Amino acid sequence: MAISREEFDLIRSFVHEHSGIQIGEGKEYLVENRLTVLMVQNGCKDFIELHKKLVADAGPLRAKVVDAMTTNETLWFRDASFFSAVSDFIVPQLMEKAARQPQVRIWSAACSTGQEPYSIAMLLDHARRKSRGQQAPPLEKFQILATDISPSVLVIAAAGRYNQLAISRGMREAFLERYFNKTGTMAYEVDPAIRKLVTFQQFNLKNSFDGLGPFDLILCRNVLIYFSNELKAEIYRKLHARLTPDGLLAIGASESPRGYTSNFEQVMVGGAALFRPKKGS
Amino acid sequence: MIKLLTIDDSRTIRRVISGIGAMLGFEVLEAENGAEGLAVLGEHVHEIGLVLLDWNMPGMNGLEVLKSAKANPRIRHIPVMMVTTEGERDYIIQAIQAGAVHYQTKPFSQEEMATRILEAMGMGGA
Ligand SMILES: C[S@@+](CC[C@H](N)C(=O)[O-])C[C@H]1O[C@@H](n2cnc3c(N)ncnc32)[C@H](O)[C@@H]1O
Repeated sequence: MAISREEFDLIRSFVHEHSGIQIGEGKEYLVENRLTVLMVQNGCKDFIELHKKLVADAGPLRAKVVDAMTTNETLWFRDASFFSAVSDFIVPQLMEKAARQPQVRIWSAACSTGQEPYSIAMLLDHARRKSRGQQAPPLEKFQILATDISPSVLVIAAAGRYNQLAISRGMREAFLERYFNKTGTMAYEVDPAIRKLVTFQQFNLKNSFDGLGPFDLILCRNVLIYFSNELKAEIYRKLHARLTPDGLLAIGASESPRGYTSNFEQVMVGGAALFRPKKGS
Repeated sequence: MIKLLTIDDSRTIRRVISGIGAMLGFEVLEAENGAEGLAVLGEHVHEIGLVLLDWNMPGMNGLEVLKSAKANPRIRHIPVMMVTTEGERDYIIQAIQAGAVHYQTKPFSQEEMATRILEAMGMGGA
């Protein structure tokens, strides 16, 4: 249906300004496919009218447009080498920390439908069970904050309900049995004890991080790839300021802070690369 | 198991959509015209999670099928996605105004169709 150059440019600059998400050249189809329904539902005859509405009205339409333009692809235990590093090395370290300090804080900074923070929560609980609860610190010592810009994914995440398809993407049989309750024919619900560990909240990574953390572990995976280089650099700086001195930052397997900041050093944990604040930085 | 329903007079398109549905973990029911489609919808109302509806069909066209589905209180809640060669904005606007939740133009790739199906069912895109 051929979106015009002018329409495409208006919409993509709006989306960039409000979410940091860059819609690349040649991605006209993304705008068309994801926004035409909203355009029509809001009584607009083209994207120019939709843009006018967006500019004039700071109401829920803005959030809906940004929401529609986010890519929410995610899975359970996404990236095997990262999650083996979590279960073999990072979780044991966090357990030790929890024995020494009042709280251990973890932040999943673009949590999408919740698979990432729940995967972490399940591994924490799994480690406690393996140690037979002897000296293992209570689960209440761990706090997982999970945020995303998209309100619709947060509804799914907070409900902790997934269909067969979502479950089939990365969930292990043993964990499915232990950490989910079957509800109805097709739905699985995350166990309340696991859900209790995670707090979901809407948050735009473009905003100030003041008041957040400090965190012992931050996961900011597969989201910075959608942003401009300047915004990547800014977010790496803000993440650095929210980590404890011995805290760890996890990013996507294809990502690297190199070129955006020199405040982090890479550490190999098992087979996975993580990043920690450089001493004195 | 959540089912999809494809209403299309082309056997090839029905086959392709069944394949994509299976890949996503859905069983796919098929109907080759509007009247048959509405009958299947009525019969499987509690299982069907999404209807993929062709526009140009002999007999009732897709828009007419959509309107009569939306006029029927038993089945009106089932989301319908148009699958159409009519990529013109006016057509798409008509379909959405009549209650379609999404649309996919033909021809399409497997990935595109899979993404559209998940989006239309509120499961997020890829
Ligand atoms: C591809 S998903 C990644 C999910 C998960 N971290 C993983 O690796 O599987 C990217 C997520 O980033 C979110 N996102 C995009 N822009 C954002 C922003 N400015 N602030 C916060 N979240 C954002 C999207 O809504 C989406 O859910």
